[in-house]
Amino acid sequence: MTLRNPTRRTTLKMMGTSAGLIAAPSIIRPAYAQDNVLNITTYDKFLPEGFVEQFEKDTGIEVRIRLTDDQGKQYNLLAAEGADPTTDIVTVAGHRLSQFMASDLLQPIDPARISTWDNLAGPYKGAPQLVRKGEVYGVPLLAGFEGMVRNTDYTKPSDSWGLMFDPEYKGFTTYIISDFVSITMKYLGYDGDFVAYVDKPEEAQAAVNAARDFLIEHKDMVRKFYDGGAEVQQMLVNEDVYVAQTWSGPAAKLIMDGFPIELSIPKEGTYGFLYSFNLVNHAPNVDAAYKFFSALLANPEVGAAMTRQSGFASAFSGVDKLLTDRERAAIALPEEQIARIQFFAEENRDMKNEMIDRAVAEIKAA
Amino acid sequence: MTNDVLTGGGQGARTSRARYSSWIGKVARSPFYRGTIGLLAENRVARLVVLLAVPLAWIAFFNIGPILQMGNISLLANYPLMDGDEPVYTLAQYALFFQESLYFVPFLRSLVFSLVVTAATLVVVYPVAYYIGKVIRPASRNKALLLLLTPFWAGEIIRVFSVIMLLANRGAVNALLRELGMIDRPIPMLYTYFSLSFGVVYLIALYMLLPLYSSIEKIPNSLLDAAADLGAGPLQRFRRVILPLSRDGIVSGCSLVFLTSIGVFAAPLLLGGPNTVIFPEIIAQLFHGSNDKWPAGAAFSIIMLLISLTTVGLFMRVVGGRNVKLM
Repeated sequence: MTLRNPTRRTTLKMMGTSAGLIAAPSIIRPAYAQDNVLNITTYDKFLPEGFVEQFEKDTGIEVRIRLTDDQGKQYNLLAAEGADPTTDIVTVAGHRLSQFMASDLLQPIDPARISTWDNLAGPYKGAPQLVRKGEVYGVPLLAGFEGMVRNTDYTKPSDSWGLMFDPEYKGFTTYIISDFVSITMKYLGYDGDFVAYVDKPEEAQAAVNAARDFLIEHKDMVRKFYDGGAEVQQMLVNEDVYVAQTWSGPAAKLIMDGFPIELSIPKEGTYGFLYSFNLVNHAPNVDAAYKFFSALLANPEVGAAMTRQSGFASAFSGVDKLLTDRERAAIALPEEQIARIQFFAEENRDMKNEMIDRAVAEIKAA
Repeated sequence: MTNDVLTGGGQGARTSRARYSSWIGKVARSPFYRGTIGLLAENRVARLVVLLAVPLAWIAFFNIGPILQMGNISLLANYPLMDGDEPVYTLAQYALFFQESLYFVPFLRSLVFSLVVTAATLVVVYPVAYYIGKVIRPASRNKALLLLLTPFWAGEIIRVFSVIMLLANRGAVNALLRELGMIDRPIPMLYTYFSLSFGVVYLIALYMLLPLYSSIEKIPNSLLDAAADLGAGPLQRFRRVILPLSRDGIVSGCSLVFLTSIGVFAAPLLLGGPNTVIFPEIIAQLFHGSNDKWPAGAAFSIIMLLISLTTVGLFMRVVGGRNVKLM
């Protein structure tokens, strides 16, 4: 038998295979509404595996987790899926809510349907980042900030972001460019969150350009531009870098593991953010999502596990008591440093994103 | 197989079909089945169409389809389209690529990087392919190939991380040099062009090795013996006999390595440094950025695809001549 001269048996087999392949899409289980399924898009190490397994056992709902490492990716995917989302819950940072809402990607949640809603810590129950026009748009999970990390074995103490530009550590620093442009603007005395630049694009552009030029001038300080928490942890452990701008979570996690680093908020200040679970508009499994939210808030041990895994501070009440002294120390900072955190605002996001994205590309290309 | 059986018209076929009383027998006796099978049995073209339908559909839907969709997105002013939005077509995204050095420079960097990596891979892999194809005993060739192919059974990311563990400040190379007393402080090898090139060459060496081995192994030993008898030294034998006869392998290997290296994404992300940003990273930034720029990302992808294919096409034509094949 050859391809050019097939036998009848081969032809029949091929026809059978063809029929099977053509029928496959209807055989493969689609991701549409199913009572016993819940699709969640979240960051690595946010959801404790034990909790998910227990939830599945208790409710019979299968939890399918899709990992993300970037708000932009999450936004683009949801926007592309439009009215047919393949995920029910996403993990949005508070300051990005407005962008998701402008594209009609989220729906408000009804706290009355979450039986354990009162188990949230007081400050987070009505967190302004999650409230729009009187409606709540997410279940607060974890709070974090952009911190400065230094390896205590190889660097001197410092209370300034200037350590990131200290020639002594040339080639031993790292940062996420898009985050660090904002921080550099703050360091140089500008508004890195663009709230002061509403309707002032020229002023904003001048500030961004100043930060961009400063970072290009000091590009030789940088060992690598990194993208995610695991990457900066690895670089610190491998001693490829000594000083870094990191999210508080990955840094706190290293401190919990006993690695010789210090996490601080320099005197020039920094930005904070609040992660929440948000219900996707047109989500196919809304009831399952509410069951999940109720289970999530039912036990502070879940919040403690999330803090241990991610390094971020939990938004659930009662978590503090469950942490060890070392764990508490890793996420606790002196009060005067905490006071330097400015939570990202919502105003002027489009201008900020547009200008910072461009600056990022220019710094990379320089 | 006789034509009688093929057409389903023979006595034997009819009685064997009559023996089945289950559903399969009913299907076999049905006019539709008999007509269809009869048609297929009598017509070779119809059989070929049936056989090729699935692979062609697969290629159309899963290979060409996404590229066409990417082409479509690249011509849109905005994407994803929100409910009620009308698509507006424009060439602005293509113009952007040529107007902005911001995008053009990393593209040129990618092109040069891929050419250098291709040349480096050829230089590194050619002696290995020659050694396996010509020097070691034929009985050991498969074992040697298997030994070289084993790392490629691991995923790309795992292999990239193995390079990181090798070249990091606290990695194996620095540890060895420190133990030998050759260095006090680690040599920063990671996140440089060296680590990136080393990693990419390691990742894609297989695409060079197989075509080269295949072409070198086919070179008749008698030709090498004849060249030696006529007084050609090793270098002359290589230049006048081995190199021309392994040209097909060189062209295929270089084409595959170039196409793979220009689109490689994970390795530069994990092994590259602040000054080694290449074009796929820029494209990813456009897709993942805060304000969606899918049309620009799609346009740049199409530009990269076209220029890569043109480069390879020219290379194959110039170096390989008219009859060269990729595999």
